[in-house]
Amino acid sequence: MVQPSVPKPAPGPDSYNSIAAQYARAKAVKDREDRIRDFKKGIADAKKEKGSLEALSDRKRDRFLGEWNWVLGVFVWFFFIHATGLYYFTKGFLLTRLVLEEHSSCAVPPIALAPSFKGAGTIEGGCWHPKSFDKAVVVIIDALRYDFTIPYKNESQAQAFHNSLPVLYDTAISQPQNAFLLPFIADPPTTTLQRLKGLTTGTLPTFIDAGSNFAGTAIEEDNLLMRLKDVGKKIVHLGDDTWTALFPGYFEANISRAYDSLNVWDLHTLDNGVLEHIMPLLQEKEKKAQWDVMFAHFLGVDHAGHRYGPNHPAMTAKLQQMDTVIRDLMKSLDDDTLLVIMGDHGMDSKGDHGGESDDEVQAALWMYSKKGIFGRTDPAYVTPPADAKIRPVNQIDLVPTLSLLLGLPIPFNNLGKPIEEAFSGKRGNAWDNLSAVGRMAAAGIKRYQSAYYAARGIDESTIDGSPQALWATAENALTSSKKEQMYKEAYASFSAYQEEISRIYRGLWARFDVPSMILGVFILASGLLSLMLYANANAEDGEAVEDPELDKAEQKLELNNFAKGITTYDQETTSRSMVRTAFIGTALGVAFGPVLRTVFEGESLLAFGLAPGAISGLVGVLFQEARRRMKISNPFPTSFWGWLAAIFTISQSIGFASNSYTIWEDSTLMFFITTFGIASAVSSLRLEKVADRALGVYHSLAFVILGCLSSYSKLCREEQMPYCMSTYYASSTSSTSAPWQLLIPFVVAGLLPEIIKSFYVGSRSYEGFASIWIGWILRGGLFLSAVFWTLDAADDAEWFPNLPSGLLKNTRVPIAQTILAMTLGAGTTAFVYAPPCIAISTAAGPSAGSEGTAHPAKATITILGFANAHGTRYLLLVLNILLTLLLVQKPMGFGALSLMAWQCLSLLEVLDLNSLTSSPIGPIMLAVLGSHHFFKTGHQATLSSIQWESAFVPLHTIMYPYSPILVGLNTFGAQILAVTFLPLVVLWKQKPKRKGTLRAVATALAWHVGYFATVGLATTMWAGHLRRHLMLYRIFCPRFMMGAMTLLVADAVGVLVALFGFRANMKGVGEIFGWA
Amino acid sequence: MPLIDPVTMSATTKTTPAGTPPVKPSLPVELLPNDLARIISQAHPVVLLAGFYIRFPALVENPAATLLSSLLLVSLVQIGYVILCLPPTGQSIKPAKKVIGAKKTNDGTTPVARPLTAFFALIMSLASIPLLTALQILFGAPISTHLLHTILTSSHVALLVMFPLVYVHGADGKKWREIASFYSPMDEVFGGAVGCFLGAWLGAVPIPLDWDREWQKWPVTIVTGAYAGYMVGKMAGGWLVKGRRIELS
Repeated sequence: MVQPSVPKPAPGPDSYNSIAAQYARAKAVKDREDRIRDFKKGIADAKKEKGSLEALSDRKRDRFLGEWNWVLGVFVWFFFIHATGLYYFTKGFLLTRLVLEEHSSCAVPPIALAPSFKGAGTIEGGCWHPKSFDKAVVVIIDALRYDFTIPYKNESQAQAFHNSLPVLYDTAISQPQNAFLLPFIADPPTTTLQRLKGLTTGTLPTFIDAGSNFAGTAIEEDNLLMRLKDVGKKIVHLGDDTWTALFPGYFEANISRAYDSLNVWDLHTLDNGVLEHIMPLLQEKEKKAQWDVMFAHFLGVDHAGHRYGPNHPAMTAKLQQMDTVIRDLMKSLDDDTLLVIMGDHGMDSKGDHGGESDDEVQAALWMYSKKGIFGRTDPAYVTPPADAKIRPVNQIDLVPTLSLLLGLPIPFNNLGKPIEEAFSGKRGNAWDNLSAVGRMAAAGIKRYQSAYYAARGIDESTIDGSPQALWATAENALTSSKKEQMYKEAYASFSAYQEEISRIYRGLWARFDVPSMILGVFILASGLLSLMLYANANAEDGEAVEDPELDKAEQKLELNNFAKGITTYDQETTSRSMVRTAFIGTALGVAFGPVLRTVFEGESLLAFGLAPGAISGLVGVLFQEARRRMKISNPFPTSFWGWLAAIFTISQSIGFASNSYTIWEDSTLMFFITTFGIASAVSSLRLEKVADRALGVYHSLAFVILGCLSSYSKLCREEQMPYCMSTYYASSTSSTSAPWQLLIPFVVAGLLPEIIKSFYVGSRSYEGFASIWIGWILRGGLFLSAVFWTLDAADDAEWFPNLPSGLLKNTRVPIAQTILAMTLGAGTTAFVYAPPCIAISTAAGPSAGSEGTAHPAKATITILGFANAHGTRYLLLVLNILLTLLLVQKPMGFGALSLMAWQCLSLLEVLDLNSLTSSPIGPIMLAVLGSHHFFKTGHQATLSSIQWESAFVPLHTIMYPYSPILVGLNTFGAQILAVTFLPLVVLWKQKPKRKGTLRAVATALAWHVGYFATVGLATTMWAGHLRRHLMLYRIFCPRFMMGAMTLLVADAVGVLVALFGFRANMKGVGEIFGWA
Repeated sequence: MPLIDPVTMSATTKTTPAGTPPVKPSLPVELLPNDLARIISQAHPVVLLAGFYIRFPALVENPAATLLSSLLLVSLVQIGYVILCLPPTGQSIKPAKKVIGAKKTNDGTTPVARPLTAFFALIMSLASIPLLTALQILFGAPISTHLLHTILTSSHVALLVMFPLVYVHGADGKKWREIASFYSPMDEVFGGAVGCFLGAWLGAVPIPLDWDREWQKWPVTIVTGAYAGYMVGKMAGGWLVKGRRIELS
């Protein structure tokens, strides 16, 4: 505090005693200072009415509220920075596409058939084009790279994968009318799931296909299998179980065989399983009749690549095995069956895939039939291309080719074109045929494009570019006079049209924008640095000294100064300087954004406003901080607890680079919780007072044991199998609670209020509002929630079939609405106006005191609950939020979240007993608890674990914006509860007039958000870095999305609940006890 | 098992706000003042390490059987170590001064008393096995399966850590509170204990990784960490940081 040069009042015992004396003294001092009194007449007048203490208190309140605004500004700005960083990363990383609902049908071609043919519009003749085959065997050899299939002349330098699979190349040369081999280019991401989507829909898949159902992986847009099923073809599947996830219910159940695809260490189980079943299906007559189209998916080559890399004897052996398999397949094929062998993607030099390098996207495609209908438009094309750059076909081309060969309609979303070799006839001059299939595919694409633009609300004619012109050229070409020339030109024009369209969509959908991703990571990283500098600078601003003597002297001094009109509060705080620089920088950046935009054309105005704004704000803040603290202080933590906090945060963040630690995150968090609990028990044993020691050890152990208890609640993710058993629901295959689980909410309703009461009783704070709130409102609310979940279960399981349908639903929805009205409506209002949880008791003083002879029987006034005035009042708000969150959790999560609340209270006691309230460990442990209970409330870092049905807890139908908020409350309930608890790290067991609480709360919130910012930054960086990883879309990408969402939720709830709740609490306490 | 922070592992006991216990500072344990004790104390970790190295393949192959069969050998090594190197409980309070002063080797311990103390210490340290097992379960050890593995791991930790501690400190409540709060001054017995716990804690790190290695199975990494930590802690406690205390704040 700045000490102005004012004569200090002479210390005297009388001046300490009473407010009256202080007032008198202040007045006396004031009288002596005539000039100042004249100068500050206005203040003096006001003071006469209210008394200087009150006036001073008012002034302090104003100062608090003013300073609080700055803190609010800091966290709002950090929210902006985090959101901006995530926006840029996501823009470059998550490619989205709108999925259209329309399906093609056999009878309705996209354009009138130019030369009509016999049986057109029926499956017997061919829907849109005369069919060539009745049956097909489609074999996918996962990761079959193109150069695995072509001969390598230089034997001495040949690698293990060379010359091991010659059958495809040999047949293409020796029987060109029966077989052809071409490079088959995949569109990234080159992961099997995304590739299968592309290979069956004919479109370019992206990670999020907007519009599709998030929860399931099943393909809902139009696809080849849907067309097959539609016309009554029987489909059989063998191999990789990704197919059954994508196409549930499509395959003939008794002859299809799916095998686990994730065990990349096992090269043979799956392949052998497929081989065991494929030959009988092809050779045995009765089995042959059971299917029309077969999809067989071998994984051995891919697994050999993942495990050993391509240049390994295991790869040679695997490819040789595949060579034999293909020869056997050719032998057992009949004339009306088409055989397709292909890779769904390639592999890089290490044998991995997922990205977009040449080696990853260059697969091979080989088609074979005994009919001999294939041709080449140029005799030189008989030899398959020497490398994948020559005459490649795209993987999306498979869908129209197969569709037209089998006489099916082309799926609606297809963007590919028919493969030339399959339609050019034996002599390679069937231009009329080529023109017809080209026209049909192009018309389908045109139809798709119109529908897509209509769905996006874009007027097609406003889009520049050539597609329209190209279409017109192609149509015109058909009207030319010279027959062959005409078809040739038309075919070329339709192909050009298709290429142009797919080029446009590929640009829209399927490319990582790496600069944008780097920009996002850069903003997030600088934001984290600023946040840590802010927390450190705030913490270093000075710790409030707890000393009653000093407090009194200080108060007196303040009064004196105040009487003289001297204010000592206008010092620059960290929050203020930070907000000022941040906002000036951001405003400048936003202002310059449009200028930059005129230089670099093409991006949206939003993109050009945000980035310069964020960057320039960050630069300003970092520069300011660097200037303020020229001498770099020790960047490492200075105590064991600081180290512990840092180790928890950083080791977890590093762990997210590994799929194992990401999968087993819940166990890791439990390990951290136990580590902290044991450490705090050890630390508590060092306490001097026996009672403190016992309490400290008790709460530490309670913290650990409750954590262990909650870990019983598990919802396992697929990758945790078979080492994990789900207990969240009745069984691992259901999503309803077991009957015994319905008891949990009732047990909680009985016990939780008692447990919370015990934390109030400890500081004699179960007074005032607390007893009503906890004893009645909380208990009643919990009981109602328990009833709600029982009714829900009764409805689901139809316990009372006699009841009219909808009655249970109509009963339980109002119950839920009542609880929400109670907690969020009435509860919040009551919290704002509630008095502190205190009571005044008067008791006769000790009459026979040895020294107290002056006042023999003076009554003693005790303020019950004084020692925890801040904490107990704020906890009422936490209970409101807790009740809200519990309502939207399933019974098992109900129990887990209640255990978390208990754990948090124990944590607060431990922190207080061990004097750790200003250490980062408290906020970090709350964050760890929040993350831990995220998993214990039935969630995982996967999209499929989102409990969508929680949107219907208090509602009958989907209502915006409430439904998404409810799902958010369910998903991030634990993290929300943690950040709601956060101010208590500072406020718990604090006397009303503790100084510096605002700064302490701001620091704690910065640490807490810092944990999520670190994890968010780490998961972002790993997702970006591992964008070619096999597990990107299964593990890293969902974890990035969860990290991003959690960070934003922590930011938002930190501001909306923690900061505003803290402000209301300070007002509530300050009005009664005066402001500190 | 808490971490030790090398930065703050300082001997300064000034102005710790909450931590400092009121008890008068206890002294680190000194070895028996003779050359044999000093030599054995150096040889002891080497013997243990060699034994562990030889048995490691068997441990990976069949953890439970190996842990069980090696218990006897480890306890013999530990009994030999404590009897020959460490002052038994009740007779350890006359430390360094005597060593410097006189050449008196006997310490007033009868040759029979030490094996007897060792025997009782061994029996008493068995009592810690349930506690150590519970601790592992709290940290996430499997509870429905592998319980025998966990108990055997606890037995090894009890032999390495608890047995010498009981042998040296007996049932001195104040001393044990100091040990439980990790506030005992560093010596080779307490250092070994801290190292062992820290090692076992770190041993959990590689378990979840998907490397599909045989040695990742429970409880191989924990036992390895415990042994390695014990050696390092014992040597560091006896030499590098002797007499210092672990400060938390």
